Amino acid sequence: MAETKVYPKKIMSIARREYKGLLLEKTFVLSVLVQLFIASFSAFLVVGLTSFYDPMALQGMQMKESKIGVIGDTEGELFKLMKISDLEPVKYTDFREAYTDFYDRKIDAIINIPNETADGNDLINLDIYLPSSELKATIVSLQLKKPLEKFEQSVRSVRTMRLDGYTPLDIQIIRGNKGSSSSKLEFVYVALLPLLMFTPAFISGGLVIDMITEEFERKTLEMLLVSPVSLLDVVGGKTLVATAIAPVQSLAWMLLLGLNGIQISNFTEILLVVTMISLTLVTAGSMIAVLCKERGTAQLFYSLVLILLFMSSYLYTNSPLNLVSRLALDSIRGMEAFAWTAGYMFLALLLLWMLTILVKKDHMKV
Amino acid sequence: MSIPINIINSLYILMPGWYTVAKWELIRSGMKFSRRSIIAVLFTLLLLSGVSYAVSLTGMNLDQKIYSVVTSSSELDSIIDSDDRFDVLPADSMDADITIVEDRAYISGTKKSIAAADALEKVFINYRETVLSSYNDVNNSHPVWITIHDLERPESFQVFGSATKKDDQLSDIENEKLEGSEENKRTSTAGKHTSTIISPEELDELENSNSKTLFERQTIATPSNFTPPIPFTAILYSFLFIFPIYFVSQFYSSSIMEERTNRRCELLLVAPLRSRDIVLGKSMPYILFAMLLLFIISLYIERPSDIQELRTSLAMIAVIFPVLLLFFSLSFIAAIFSRSFKELTFAMVFFSVIVSGYVFFPAMFANVHTVSSISPMTLIVNLIEKGNISFGKYIFSTLPFYLVALSIYGFGTAIFREEDLFSQKTIPEKIMDCMEIYLSSPLGSVFALSIVSIPFVYMAQLMLIVMLFNLPLPYSVITMIILSAFVEEIAKSIGIYTIMKRRLKPLNLKNAGTLALLAGGGFFFGEKLVSVITLAPIASSAFGSVMTMGTLLLIPLLLHVTTTMVTSLGVYFTGHRSYVFFLLLATAMHTIYNIYMLRGLLFG
Repeated sequence: MAETKVYPKKIMSIARREYKGLLLEKTFVLSVLVQLFIASFSAFLVVGLTSFYDPMALQGMQMKESKIGVIGDTEGELFKLMKISDLEPVKYTDFREAYTDFYDRKIDAIINIPNETADGNDLINLDIYLPSSELKATIVSLQLKKPLEKFEQSVRSVRTMRLDGYTPLDIQIIRGNKGSSSSKLEFVYVALLPLLMFTPAFISGGLVIDMITEEFERKTLEMLLVSPVSLLDVVGGKTLVATAIAPVQSLAWMLLLGLNGIQISNFTEILLVVTMISLTLVTAGSMIAVLCKERGTAQLFYSLVLILLFMSSYLYTNSPLNLVSRLALDSIRGMEAFAWTAGYMFLALLLLWMLTILVKKDHMKV
Repeated sequence: MSIPINIINSLYILMPGWYTVAKWELIRSGMKFSRRSIIAVLFTLLLLSGVSYAVSLTGMNLDQKIYSVVTSSSELDSIIDSDDRFDVLPADSMDADITIVEDRAYISGTKKSIAAADALEKVFINYRETVLSSYNDVNNSHPVWITIHDLERPESFQVFGSATKKDDQLSDIENEKLEGSEENKRTSTAGKHTSTIISPEELDELENSNSKTLFERQTIATPSNFTPPIPFTAILYSFLFIFPIYFVSQFYSSSIMEERTNRRCELLLVAPLRSRDIVLGKSMPYILFAMLLLFIISLYIERPSDIQELRTSLAMIAVIFPVLLLFFSLSFIAAIFSRSFKELTFAMVFFSVIVSGYVFFPAMFANVHTVSSISPMTLIVNLIEKGNISFGKYIFSTLPFYLVALSIYGFGTAIFREEDLFSQKTIPEKIMDCMEIYLSSPLGSVFALSIVSIPFVYMAQLMLIVMLFNLPLPYSVITMIILSAFVEEIAKSIGIYTIMKRRLKPLNLKNAGTLALLAGGGFFFGEKLVSVITLAPIASSAFGSVMTMGTLLLIPLLLHVTTTMVTSLGVYFTGHRSYVFFLLLATAMHTIYNIYMLRGLLFG
């Protein structure tokens, strides 16, 4: 039986046909355009998304000192702490006066400090008035957080003495004279990089569904099968093209990020992981397409499966997304990385094998 | 007598026409799902909800084990291990990011290790807070508390002047303040009583504050647990609105494309139905379904408890409807223009990115800059925060959406015919078909076409503002001037190009001149109309002046006619192949004029 064997040559010829089709229809150009469009927003995205991810990230940006109105105890320690921080405290005698200036945008927040000292017994209740639904509110709170924490610690240093058997954990972190950029680093390596790496693979999975269902719906498949190619050759060729274009795009993204000064370690291993995942997704896409034979249903099903896989990658260490982050940061040892990559390769091959069985069965029916 | 009967007849034909098509569409989309695939989809959904529940328990992280640390005590090991981000290595390992010896933590000096140090600091703070919370003595373990209050004040750039309510508000706050201070007095006279204000349960709640949803805002906290309000939260809500639109429009475009590829649509075209009815019938089920989803979401967001809040959620629907219409019209035209599913997928991704960019990025500036008011999402943000919006704002940001969506539907319906649906015509050819049909219709002329193109130009230019917002100021305005001139020149000359290429009118010098006069004049007329109606709000910013420029009336008219004349005569004398060259020439002239007009802004 001819159709039970795999002919690499025929697969390649189908693959070449599909590849030319992609270029001819200028769809590839459009996809590059889309990615460029996204990149043009990237400056925006980095600021915007980082602040979603962690509002503390805004702290790294150059911000001028916010003016904040202080009423109540303007002689105490908190006032002094605010003075030496990123804030500019302004004294007011009563709330009405401060509010008038707040309304005229002379100050951006008002704080009421009660006359209660560290030696006392009562809670120290600070009232902070922030402009509602303004970015300024976030900025002021960020600038306020540090002096407030220092104030809390200084009050605590007196009061925690009264707690039984409390010894603070005291470990000094020796930083030298290096700055801090935690959130940005985490955002780039944990959110941005994996997303950029796998987006082409996500798209490829959808693409292969289009390629296969189109043949079913246009009824061109029957014509193809009359010629000496089997269904397996057709599906195999399409799967090959769709898989191959994903790592190329990922590579381009990595080079672009590299140009922007983002260091990426373990380049080849990341590419290998990306290829394996794109093979997995494309094979899954092909299976769905062969089963459904109809674009709308297949795409819906694929996107559901995609969301499912995406969600489950949150559940364990060394999920593809996490693995890429760890590889890029060089935070994983060789053996562990190798074992997991091999695991994903095994998964991809398993799916590929299942696809061949499925396609052979389907070919009998056709 | 015959006229009323005609009307009734046509009504009778009109109604069942699209209604029948809609019914077919519903039945057909229902049949697509076999029982097997329904079970499979349901099973996946079930799995999905299971996994999302599990994910919500673990706290949504992808940052496991990205930093390594070596310590000398097992007590520290267990403290640090509580944070997923740390990989605690055995004591003899080399090259960890952080090495802790005794009570000092040394970093290795790489960028990553600095980030690790920040993370470690947070781990220690969290540990301190946990230990302190275990004491049942709030006054001594958590002595400082913050209460956050929101204060209203007007935006720095008012869009539509509203009467200031400063004094009202002030007195309100004064009252609140007085009550507050009375309360304070009460608590302080009560002395020891204060400790019961914050109960141990509340402290537990404080512990869990990290697992709070994004949307809930802290109002009371200790300094260490205080997280600043997250900006742009309302935009996250808006994402909820856009997702169903993405999904449903996928099905919609897929359905149209499918009927084109398997040629089933041919039967519909042969049936005694107008293409208008077919388009309406095919779109209606999807639009209604999407509206239903949006309505459910708006109810979820607003959770209306009284009639006022129900009105707010209905207002949200009204705001999102034009966005939906634009999305659908773009899906529709993409499904007609594409020659294959692949092309359709990419076109859909492209349009989705563009429209979401247009819709979301300005909304990031909600309450910060007036440019934000071009996006309907800003209105959603305002609705969520304030509960109402003004009608003027609604018109300002949604009118272009309505106009563009409706004209796209108009053009799409015009070429909803056999020769465009079932042939492999190129996209420019199909666009020309649209133009040709429009120009040869009784109401069509290059004058009217220029006016119709205004909303498109307007949206394209606003899109440019959004995209160029990143660039530093002089460059962004210059790029903006060049690109907007280009867009305007295309809009004015496309009709003339179509006429000349398709030979819709006899080619002679007189016609070429008249057409340019009409197209340029039409554009000028439409532009002035728009600037009078809508552009007032952003006219004050630099970008606005690029678009409204020129209070002098005669010179802009002359400009529009001249540049169009350049393209028109150029194409007339040298043939339609050199269209692009003359288009660029006209753009250059237009740019020079604009830069001259804006010289004060640019160089002064």
